[in-house]
Amino acid sequence: MTTISGTAEPVQATTPLVGRPDVNRKRLARLGWAFSAPALIFVAAVTIFPIIYSVVMSFSNVTVTGNGTSLNGFTGNNYSIVLRNSTWHYALGFTIVYTAITVLVELVIGTLIALVLQRLTAGRGAMMALLLLPWSMITVINAELWLYIYNGVYGVADAILNAVGLGHPNILGQNTSAIIALMIADIWKTTPFVAIIVLAGLIIIPGDLYEAAEVDGSSGWSTFWRITVPLLRNTLALAVLFRVLQAFGLFDLPYVMTNGGPGTATTSLAILGYKAIFQNLEYGTGAAVATTTALLVLLGCLVSLRAFRVQVGREGT
Amino acid sequence: MERRKHGWHRVFNGVNLSTFFVVLFVGLPLYWLIISSFKEPPALGASPPQYWPNPWTGANYSQAFKQYDFGSYFLHSVVVTLVATALVLFLGTMAGYALGRLPMRGKFSLMVTLLMISLFPEIAVVAPLYSLLDTLGWLNSYQALIIPYTAFFLPFAIWILRNYMLGIPKEMEETARIDGAGPIRTVWSVILPMALPGVFTAAIFTFTAAWTEFLMALTFNINLKTIPVGISTFGSANEVPFGTIFAASVVAVVPIGILVFIFRRFVISGLTSGAVKG
Repeated sequence: MTTISGTAEPVQATTPLVGRPDVNRKRLARLGWAFSAPALIFVAAVTIFPIIYSVVMSFSNVTVTGNGTSLNGFTGNNYSIVLRNSTWHYALGFTIVYTAITVLVELVIGTLIALVLQRLTAGRGAMMALLLLPWSMITVINAELWLYIYNGVYGVADAILNAVGLGHPNILGQNTSAIIALMIADIWKTTPFVAIIVLAGLIIIPGDLYEAAEVDGSSGWSTFWRITVPLLRNTLALAVLFRVLQAFGLFDLPYVMTNGGPGTATTSLAILGYKAIFQNLEYGTGAAVATTTALLVLLGCLVSLRAFRVQVGREGT
Repeated sequence: MERRKHGWHRVFNGVNLSTFFVVLFVGLPLYWLIISSFKEPPALGASPPQYWPNPWTGANYSQAFKQYDFGSYFLHSVVVTLVATALVLFLGTMAGYALGRLPMRGKFSLMVTLLMISLFPEIAVVAPLYSLLDTLGWLNSYQALIIPYTAFFLPFAIWILRNYMLGIPKEMEETARIDGAGPIRTVWSVILPMALPGVFTAAIFTFTAAWTEFLMALTFNINLKTIPVGISTFGSANEVPFGTIFAASVVAVVPIGILVFIFRRFVISGLTSGAVKG
């Protein structure tokens, strides 16, 4: 399927009918910009300018006026407030740990599910459809569902914990159990997404590689580590990247389930920024929280630039 | 691998057993959501929980529409999602065509930038967008969500579409050009029909993203609630009406569930050829 090169030269060279290649190429490039300009301008106007404005705001003395806000002069204050704030330290640590654990668990379970589905001979389509349901579900609904499951009086989780002799712990009322409860809800919703991506990666691994390994007497376990994992590397890297960046913006689940509590136990960076801006009207510090979060994501993107290159540079290979 | 499987091994083997556990893992919470929406309030609060509704009731559903105005939330979600999806597909197809098939300089950096924007945390732009919309007097309007959704979901759609466009034989345009078709007609009547699977894929991804978005809907449109915001505000501080919430949830999940089921081939191919082929 990839015999078609993404660049235009070969075709130009073999079709003198359409004029001189260099002139034609310039014309086509102009056409390309004309076609992509509306989309690019739209995206830039609505995403990039607000990001810049947010950065400016984070370096300004912001006063709340009757109709909005006004920026008065440059200051580094917002950052020194945020960087010294213990809640911010906690939120940063929480977001990182939460992201690391959920993504790792999702990756392991997702890969296991994919390996099972790969061997499934009948009904794979139906299974895929089932896996897509949590993926397409509104996160708020997921949050309400688990809120009901975790309820201390009539929740199923409570009934199960009680049945195995753990009594009636207040699941969402204690720090550690609240965090674990959020992670479980998150893992349930996003593992199927990872499973589908990994399954897609598994399917494109040529079958004769496995046959060769079997002829060589390789056991299932060593085949997995020596053939499947290396060939899945790009797929796994992309799944991880997607999930890490998504999990880093964690907002909907804690907003509905715990409102960042108990105390600040489930306060993610996004929850912290949201509360600063829209509940406490601390625009400057809120913008500083938002900007530092964005910076961390950007850093994550740059670190994984190679994974992006692999994706975008497909036509080059 | 020619070992013949027969007897009970055919049904009770490791693969089927593991598949059964996967079904339980994914299905049980969904089962709980659906049956809880049909329980009466006493049954919803029963301890130990009632694993099968007895008796069944449709009251939660009528409650969602009568007491909580879920009908208008649904309408708001439909309008915002459909318009944003249409805009994304229109702008995304043109840009995807250009980035996939035309010799533009700097395409590579552009694609990487777009990819990064599509993964950027919303919290970074919500505050400035809020003040902008406030200044324009556009808070609590359809455009307050349609415009940001279009902008935020466009990059991923462009990415999917561009990857599909790459796979269309180069000769298509040449043939069209020799036949005397202009660039717009070439895209419309030659390229678009061939890229249709990619368009479906981009459509379903955009639709899902817009249908489920919460943070911007919550901050910009508290008086023009979409489904996620509406459901999150059901009930009061003292009482969470889970039955009503789940009834509304089932109504919200069904359309997208059907869509995803019908177009699952495209969703999966979007995740495979569009996003994952390394």
